[in-house]
Amino acid sequence: MAPDDSAAAVTDSGLDTGTDTAIDASIVAPEVPVDKPATSAEAAGSEHSSPAPPQPAPPIDPRTQLRLRNEGDHLVLLMPSGPQSEAEGGALAWGELLQHFRQRLNGGEPFWQPNTVVHLAASDRLLDARQLQALDDILTAAQLRLKRVITSRRQTAMAAVTVGYSVDQLEAEDTLVQSPPPPGKPLAEPLYLQTTVRSGVEIRHPGTIVVLGDANPGSSLVAEGDILVWGRLRGIAHAGFGGDRDRYIMALQMQPTQLRLADLVARAPDSPGTDYLPEVAYVGNNAIRIAQAQAFARQHFDATLGQGAQPTDAF
Amino acid sequence: MTRIIVMTSGKGGVGKSTCTANLGMALAQRNQRVAVVDADFGLRNLDLLLGLENRIVYTALDVLAGDCTVEKALVKDKRQPTLGLLAAAQNRNKEAITPNQMKELVAGLAPSNDFILIDCPAGIEMGFQNAIAPAKEAIVVTTPEISAVRDADRVIGLLEANDVKFTKLLINRIKPKMVQEDQMMSVRDVLDILAVPLLGVVPDDERVIVSSNRGEPLVLEKQLSLAGVAFNNIARRLLGEEVPLIDLTATHDDLFSRLRRFLRGS
Ligand SMILES: Nc1ncnc2c1ncn2[C@@H]1O[C@H](COP(=O)(O)OP(=O)(O)OP(=O)(O)O)[C@@H](O)[C@H]1O
Ligand SMILES: [Mg+2]
Repeated sequence: MAPDDSAAAVTDSGLDTGTDTAIDASIVAPEVPVDKPATSAEAAGSEHSSPAPPQPAPPIDPRTQLRLRNEGDHLVLLMPSGPQSEAEGGALAWGELLQHFRQRLNGGEPFWQPNTVVHLAASDRLLDARQLQALDDILTAAQLRLKRVITSRRQTAMAAVTVGYSVDQLEAEDTLVQSPPPPGKPLAEPLYLQTTVRSGVEIRHPGTIVVLGDANPGSSLVAEGDILVWGRLRGIAHAGFGGDRDRYIMALQMQPTQLRLADLVARAPDSPGTDYLPEVAYVGNNAIRIAQAQAFARQHFDATLGQGAQPTDAF
Repeated sequence: MTRIIVMTSGKGGVGKSTCTANLGMALAQRNQRVAVVDADFGLRNLDLLLGLENRIVYTALDVLAGDCTVEKALVKDKRQPTLGLLAAAQNRNKEAITPNQMKELVAGLAPSNDFILIDCPAGIEMGFQNAIAPAKEAIVVTTPEISAVRDADRVIGLLEANDVKFTKLLINRIKPKMVQEDQMMSVRDVLDILAVPLLGVVPDDERVIVSSNRGEPLVLEKQLSLAGVAFNNIARRLLGEEVPLIDLTATHDDLFSRLRRFLRGS
């Protein structure tokens, strides 16, 4: 940072938060050391990428958070299934589950009309009346109305009836809700978040994640699809979580703590540059590579421009 | 409408209690009725910073047990009678009270006060959940260090998720000289990450420690120190006044560095 950024130069009016100053390098200090990149001969761009060392899969799965799915005339609130304690490496503890859900609702542009009806797909999760009430409160605050509970657990069904919801009790082995997707299954709709994703916040989504805002150090984005950050990416981003290497991570400013694409991992360089242009991370030759967005788009997205004349070069 | 503000930080020891004591006092000096609430059960020290320790008869727990009214438990400050302290119990831990009970306490204080400042314990566990439960606004206190800023970011996210809508930032213990020498994060560096409105900047000042030991908030001094001025300015901003940030470097500058800045055009 420039020395004249000291408190002296700052007045209230000058304190717009969207400055163009580069952040202190140490803020994006990597949390997992990885070997220095073997620079690739790939096309344009700054390659702060590295071949992936063998890394255990992270203990996070995009399907372990609460999320809403649009079903036309109503929404379905999908409850993660599986082991119900963090210790078992399964779904998150209840409090945290709610926390993440609130954060998601707060950051999301509502795609529903006020008073849209919600069906809770509770899967095999045990829920008592208080937990149902907590969900109801959060949904009500977002102008949604919980009407129906779909569950394979008798106790949950009882609780739901007591509180006054309609209930569908499914056979225990019914997998309508959450079993891992068979290969080739389409991804969930993209998740749009207009917010700063802050330290400690984890967004997991079985589709593409679009963030309009910054993803701060200490945050993590995990998507089965692509990740687009219209802002500064300074936390951890993992695209192609299910194993799809044909996914991208794009950011206006790429200063991540760590990038993951499918099974590959790359961390930030030790001395990041100071000029940030929009960049794209992708997989090439079994490693994560980073290219400037413009060059990358010319090569990968726009067939007509990629081959013939390149009008943008004229400027 | 009573303004209910939680002073919080995530990281410990960044100056929440110091700021609560000074802002409480500064607001009271401006004829506001202020209640400061110590939500740090088991590690209370707001009473020490205000010099009120030996006047505590009842604590928040006595109020909840129905042994006294909240008015009676409020320790009035002799120097500034519109300031009162609701003390935490020292012999209990943070699980001794629930978020709803905290709301109940604050609701009891609201009708007779203009400001309620809640001094939050460090961390993001139960004590934090209790302290933020009644709050409508938050002042996040941080120092210009990466770890403190990271925790502040986390806390801001949790405040948002818990419907505390108006969060402002107070940066404490800035050392202008170190910032100038590029050895410390600047105000701008901190704001760049946290992206919330800045309420004020308080310099690192040895007199803060002296005043804590004496139980006399800095803002009571006749000859105000720079930190004291900063706290006063923050109180004025809370009351809606527009007060420019003080130039913290002025006292440290030699002619040469001023000239250099001037030539650089900043
Ligand atoms: N501006 C300052 N200049 C110098 N020292 C300061 C300043 N602000 C706070 N301190 C010192 O830092 C220490 C911690 O302050 P304080 O107790 O207010 O922090 P806290 O955030 O309330 O801590 P805790 O998390 O333990 O409750 C104290 O010794 C205090 O005197
Ligand atoms: Mg304290």
